[in-house]
Amino acid sequence: MATASPLARSRRSTELSLVVMAGMITAIAYTFASLGQYTQIPARIIPFLLALLALLLFAHLAVRWFARGADPTLLPLVALLHGVGYVMITRLEPERLAGLQTTWSIIAIVAFVATLAVVQRAADLARFRWTFLFIGVVLLILPLVPGVGSSFGGARIWVSLGPVNFQPGEFAKIAFAIFFASYLADNRQLIAGGTWRVGPLHLPEPRALLPVLAAWSFAVLVMVAERDLGSSLLFFTLFVVMLWVSTERVIYLFLGAAMFFGAAFVSWRLFDHVQLRVDIWLDPWADWQDDGFQLVQALWGMSDGGLMGTGLGRGSPDIVPVAESDFIFTSIGEELGLFGAAAVLMAYLLIVGAGLRVALRTENAFEKLLAVGLTTIMGIQTFIIVAGVIKLVPLTGITLPFVSYGGSSLVSNYILLALLIRLSDSTARRLHEVPDDPTMAERWAARKLRRRARRGRVVAGSPA
Amino acid sequence: MNRKIRQLAAAFIVLYVVLFAAMNYWQVGRESELNAMSGNTRAIRREFSRPRGEIVSADGVVAARSIPLPDDNEFPYQREYPTGDLFANVTGYYSLALGATQLERTQNSVLTGQTAEQRIGNLEDIVTGGQGTGDVHMTLRSDLQDTAREALAGRRGSVVMLDTRTGAVLAMYSNPTYDPNRIVDPNFDAARDALEELLEAPGNPLLANAYQERYMPGSTFKVLTTGIALDAGVVSLDSQFDRVTEWTPPQTSNPIQNYDGSNCGGDLREVFRRSCNIPFAQTALNVGIPGMISGVQAWGVGENVPIDLPRPAASTFGSTDNLDQQLPLLAMRGFGQQEDQMVPLHMAMVAAAVANNGVMMKPFVVGSTTDSQGRTLTRTQPEEWKRPISPETAATLNSLMQSVATDGTASCCLQLNGGVPVAAKTGTAQLNEAGQPERSNAWIVAFAPANEPRYAVSVVLLDSPEVSAGTGGRLAGPIAQQMLNEALANG
Repeated sequence: MATASPLARSRRSTELSLVVMAGMITAIAYTFASLGQYTQIPARIIPFLLALLALLLFAHLAVRWFARGADPTLLPLVALLHGVGYVMITRLEPERLAGLQTTWSIIAIVAFVATLAVVQRAADLARFRWTFLFIGVVLLILPLVPGVGSSFGGARIWVSLGPVNFQPGEFAKIAFAIFFASYLADNRQLIAGGTWRVGPLHLPEPRALLPVLAAWSFAVLVMVAERDLGSSLLFFTLFVVMLWVSTERVIYLFLGAAMFFGAAFVSWRLFDHVQLRVDIWLDPWADWQDDGFQLVQALWGMSDGGLMGTGLGRGSPDIVPVAESDFIFTSIGEELGLFGAAAVLMAYLLIVGAGLRVALRTENAFEKLLAVGLTTIMGIQTFIIVAGVIKLVPLTGITLPFVSYGGSSLVSNYILLALLIRLSDSTARRLHEVPDDPTMAERWAARKLRRRARRGRVVAGSPA
Repeated sequence: MNRKIRQLAAAFIVLYVVLFAAMNYWQVGRESELNAMSGNTRAIRREFSRPRGEIVSADGVVAARSIPLPDDNEFPYQREYPTGDLFANVTGYYSLALGATQLERTQNSVLTGQTAEQRIGNLEDIVTGGQGTGDVHMTLRSDLQDTAREALAGRRGSVVMLDTRTGAVLAMYSNPTYDPNRIVDPNFDAARDALEELLEAPGNPLLANAYQERYMPGSTFKVLTTGIALDAGVVSLDSQFDRVTEWTPPQTSNPIQNYDGSNCGGDLREVFRRSCNIPFAQTALNVGIPGMISGVQAWGVGENVPIDLPRPAASTFGSTDNLDQQLPLLAMRGFGQQEDQMVPLHMAMVAAAVANNGVMMKPFVVGSTTDSQGRTLTRTQPEEWKRPISPETAATLNSLMQSVATDGTASCCLQLNGGVPVAAKTGTAQLNEAGQPERSNAWIVAFAPANEPRYAVSVVLLDSPEVSAGTGGRLAGPIAQQMLNEALANG
């Protein structure tokens, strides 16, 4: 904060006003939902408003302090999605989940600020790539460990430690994205080069590609073993996209698509639960009172909402099982209509756009790939679940980032957001849009160095 | 790598546009189709989660209201009908599974606060904590309903009372009827069983027989015939009719008889008050086919009774094809037999038109509607329906009908408290063939005070086990008397 910068200041004041607007929209939606449901103004609207503004202000100040050159739209967009999701969750489950979601929201914002504070240089992440790979692997396996892991709703993706349940896979996706970005940034020429000749084919060095392929197949296989189809699809797409972007070879897309359809066909033949998903997708009305119930009710909700929606609190999205989690998007479609749902989609698309802009602007290969990876996670995860609940593709359960109920999802996505903001700030510094002041840690190191120099232990090298 | 990142961005845009298109498909393209699917209960649930206003009688008795249910129920409110069957024909019922009828159906948007006016007023309710509902105020009086129910004493039949000047329905009660509380029973199976039982019960208890059914009117129809003939100049108070016991109309050898084969004739006043049959058979023939057909049409026969309730019936003069080949039928219809059928409410309107100088008003049961703050939303303005007879004819008929009460077929049983002058016409519609056990519809129409009319009443008792000139007056007369006395005492 040492040097004044007009650009940084204007970006941060833009962010502040947008964040306040997102907060106001949330508070109004919260009031309307209560009016629609109970025809009364929520009892604790003032404390709610104050807490909401305090939380948003806290996040904003953290960006102002730790990443003042960052894109000003990311945090407000996320605040809007988070707010809409929070209103829907409290409206759907006012007693069971509203308090929990509040707690998780606070934890998520704290995690966001902590990530910004701890990761002050994006390059630090690249240095620990093998550590991140290890963390990712451990997180993925955890739910399969007897005594720790547990399964709800058919998927074994949960870990119970005492009273806390969480989905480690939500965090593993970030760890794997970091590993892949770092590894591919260093080895992409080697992989793209195709120096290994087998007959007429130019293939990448097996040695170079091995870690990528190993991590990739491991992650996907573990997810399939955990019956978490949505996450395995997400991981698979993430790796294919990162390989394609880093090597610039379109062959990986075709290869990925071929593998995907092959794997999908095999698992359709092998697994009953996959067949059931496909059958429901093809004709949910065939068995609408049992297997197709969730999807059919969700579609009825959407159509009941129509163009303008029933109004918050005035629809019946609670008919749909787990409306607050996987199916929260159709709840929004029912009560806010096509307009509201399209606005939510637009917010995601803007986040994707902001993320890819970071990837375009930076010259650093690691940062570029990490921005691509994190953005892809966000964009694809949203697509998988939204397309699933509106019967565009077979439904594979996964959360809608920032909107669905779920602590792990909320915290991990806020960490992801912090990393994107970090990358955005880093780009601004590198392009000299904002002064590249040393971080706290760097200043501390420099001071130590100077002290040692004064004592004569270091001969030269410190800058004048 | 930047080229690939741009392609990736383009790919994301394509993916999200596809999502948007799919949402349009469900939310706009197939919206109405999905909403109409059976099993999609959203619209019904929304409807039944709303609070609902009251239906109140003119004297402030609540006929229908919503009571809150404990929290663990699927729906927050339950409909209740504190007066049981008393207003069932008018309020109808309102049930989640079995639908809604009568005012519960037609006044739904007022009761739930959905009219445009109420929606604006509802913004205030958010602050004041009001329910945002509306109330429907009926023109019916609970004391008159009670009187009608007690006077009928379980016998099949209908009682209708109108305000002669406005057409407001003051009482409308029919037997058999039903208790709407049985159909809104939260126990769905019990409710469905009750409804099925009522659907199969004899006499259509679910129908408001007073305006949704029609019955052979007997001699009360002579009011219409006389009015038509007076207006056409075919008869006058000076007309004389032969004293005979039977008369054979053209095109037949079967003679028409008076009731009980009595010897009946004299001037118009005498044949009217004694309710001879032959003079009115002759009068109908004298008026002629076109005159009778256009005449009954002028009285509103053949048209649905214009009441503000669903599915009213229409009175009928019977088939008029080839009537010129069947003049005996025309003759019999002239005194209310054969294919004549009148709606009880319509008969009350006939009496009210005579009372109201020949102007027939549209009957209505909704007097006004108010919002949750008690402000008036709508107030029904009386409307003229038809002018079947001239004011002079109406005055003549009035005087003829007074004779019926003073020294005619109704004199036995229609004497009002305080000697208030009353005008009436009785009717006994024979239902059995000759030689069969006697069955009849006993009718009376009346209005009072005859010199300054305010109340018109029509009573029909169905399937009474006797047939004579006095049946209508003796059976139905006391009911009309009680109704008019009650109306005049507390009006």
